[in-house]
Amino acid sequence: MTAQRAPAGPILDVRDLSISFGGLKAVDGVSFNAERNRITTIIGPNGAGKSTLFNLISGALAPRRGRVLLEGRDTTGAAPHRLQAAGLARSFQITTLFFALSVAENLRLGAQTLEPAARLWLPVGSSVRARRRVDELLERFRLTDKADYPAGKLSHGEQRRLEIAVALAGAPRVLLLDEPTQGMSHGDTAETAELIRGLASDVTILLIEHDIGLVMTLSDHVIVMHQGRKIAEGMPEAVRADPAVQAAYFGHV
Amino acid sequence: MRDELTIKSHAGYWLAALLLLAGLVVAGVGFATGDVFYLRLASEALIFGGLALSVDILLGYTGLLSLGQALHFGLGAYVSALALIATQSFWTAMGVALAAGVLGGLVGGFIANRVRGVYFALITFGMAQVSAKVVYNTRSLGASDGLIGVPVLDINFGFFSLSSASPTAFFLLALAILLLLYFLAAYLLDTPFGRLLIAVKANERRVPFLGYRTATLRLGSYVLAATIATLSGALYPMLRGFVSPELLFFSTSGNAVITVILGGAGTLVGALYGSVLLTVIKSVVGSWTEHHLIVIGLLFMVVVIFLPNGLMGLIQPGIRARLARGGRR
Ligand SMILES: Nc1ncnc2c1ncn2[C@@H]1O[C@H](COP(=O)(O)OP(=O)(O)OP(=O)(O)O)[C@@H](O)[C@H]1O
Ligand SMILES: [Mg+2]
Repeated sequence: MTAQRAPAGPILDVRDLSISFGGLKAVDGVSFNAERNRITTIIGPNGAGKSTLFNLISGALAPRRGRVLLEGRDTTGAAPHRLQAAGLARSFQITTLFFALSVAENLRLGAQTLEPAARLWLPVGSSVRARRRVDELLERFRLTDKADYPAGKLSHGEQRRLEIAVALAGAPRVLLLDEPTQGMSHGDTAETAELIRGLASDVTILLIEHDIGLVMTLSDHVIVMHQGRKIAEGMPEAVRADPAVQAAYFGHV
Repeated sequence: MRDELTIKSHAGYWLAALLLLAGLVVAGVGFATGDVFYLRLASEALIFGGLALSVDILLGYTGLLSLGQALHFGLGAYVSALALIATQSFWTAMGVALAAGVLGGLVGGFIANRVRGVYFALITFGMAQVSAKVVYNTRSLGASDGLIGVPVLDINFGFFSLSSASPTAFFLLALAILLLLYFLAAYLLDTPFGRLLIAVKANERRVPFLGYRTATLRLGSYVLAATIATLSGALYPMLRGFVSPELLFFSTSGNAVITVILGGAGTLVGALYGSVLLTVIKSVVGSWTEHHLIVIGLLFMVVVIFLPNGLMGLIQPGIRARLARGGRR
């Protein structure tokens, strides 16, 4: 489609992002860059502010301070549907699907923006591009057999896969994945990691992940959060060796 | 791949075709026997079926419970009556009602969609109550007596014309208009726009992340529903020759909700069947006892408990299974 008209430099530029809930500084002056088609992983103990950071970037919450630049454009506080149009999508830590609707319909809803807006008013069957996208995603996420199942009837692991696939359906350039492997079996986790690795060839991924093994193998870049602040960032091995990171995880202040 | 929702929609088309057939039989028998009463009753069932249809768009598809849809129905009835008294023209009345439907839908939807869930129900209830009281106290609208003296119409279709005084002709007209409104709604609800309304009902939280603004979708749904209610209401004075404030009362809104539940929420065609069913029950039971509301109340409870998908829940699955088998590649 469009040739690389996007400017060089980070695809996502987060500057001094902050929000508090009551007295709690859930995200406190966080800045970082995400490079195009890389996997940037955000780690940190429970309650560190990782999901809140995603909420700020994806438009679910408006920051009290700071900026978000997506491909050089200021998207601070933009609504989720505008960010989707700008090429940013996300999945949720707590599975957020259309449980009553079929797996294929969940994906089709996600893929509708691939069609021209006028197709909104034509029969669903005529949205051919969206259909093709659905088939492709069913295949890729191994859900073809379950295409007609209500999403609510899937196993936990399948729902987590669908959660990613729905976010991916609109062909975003930046994809935020909030603990995609949460609660998955070992086998499923490894397979999902493989899937995510595959996605990074044409999508920039921001990942929140607790499984340290996965973090080490998947990430190009790791950001560590603790109590709302970024306390370290760098290559996976370097971050793991960082004493401040170990302190955050093992509780020595 | 079979698309369950499209199959469901097509099952509705078959049931609507069945309704058309039944309607033609009723019209034929009514015409042959020179009946007035039953044809008028059937016309009324269709008109209130339109109101129920609009409630189902909100409740069964978008997940919004309106307890004040009579507001739009009554608006249609009043603007139509005024236009008919002034111009004696069916087309003017329908045109004015269309405009009032869209406009009223935009205003009502803008207000009601500021809130969700039970508050949406309460605000729609409130809007209808306030409007009913205003109409009830407005002398120029006939106050508590309503507007009387809506003239008999000659409705001109270019190559033929029919009179609203003919029970058969008017019944056929009502049947045609209500089925048109049904097809319009059924068509729109099987487009990606309609699917997004269903998505709002299924999980509103995710919809913005698909790239669509939920406020716009809810407003779109409300305007569509309001327009259908208003156009249905516009037929009422043509049938009865008058309009009264009761059309805006809660009993009218509440009846429409009951109709949808009886017929089967989220099916559209169930609203029309439900209205026919409710009208039959009212007139049959009403001829035995004054207390037909008790019977309807009990029936409502039984349906809610044992038939959560209403009348359509009984008959639609069979049709759907057939269509699915026929449609599989
Ligand atoms: N909407 C909200 N209102 C009030 N407090 C909130 C809200 N969202 C998050 N918090 C609080 O902000 C802090 C950070 O929460 P967040 O969900 O971002 O953590 P997290 O790093 O994603 O944790 P986990 O690993 O458990 O998912 C927590 O103390 C949480 O209770
Ligand atoms: Mg979290």
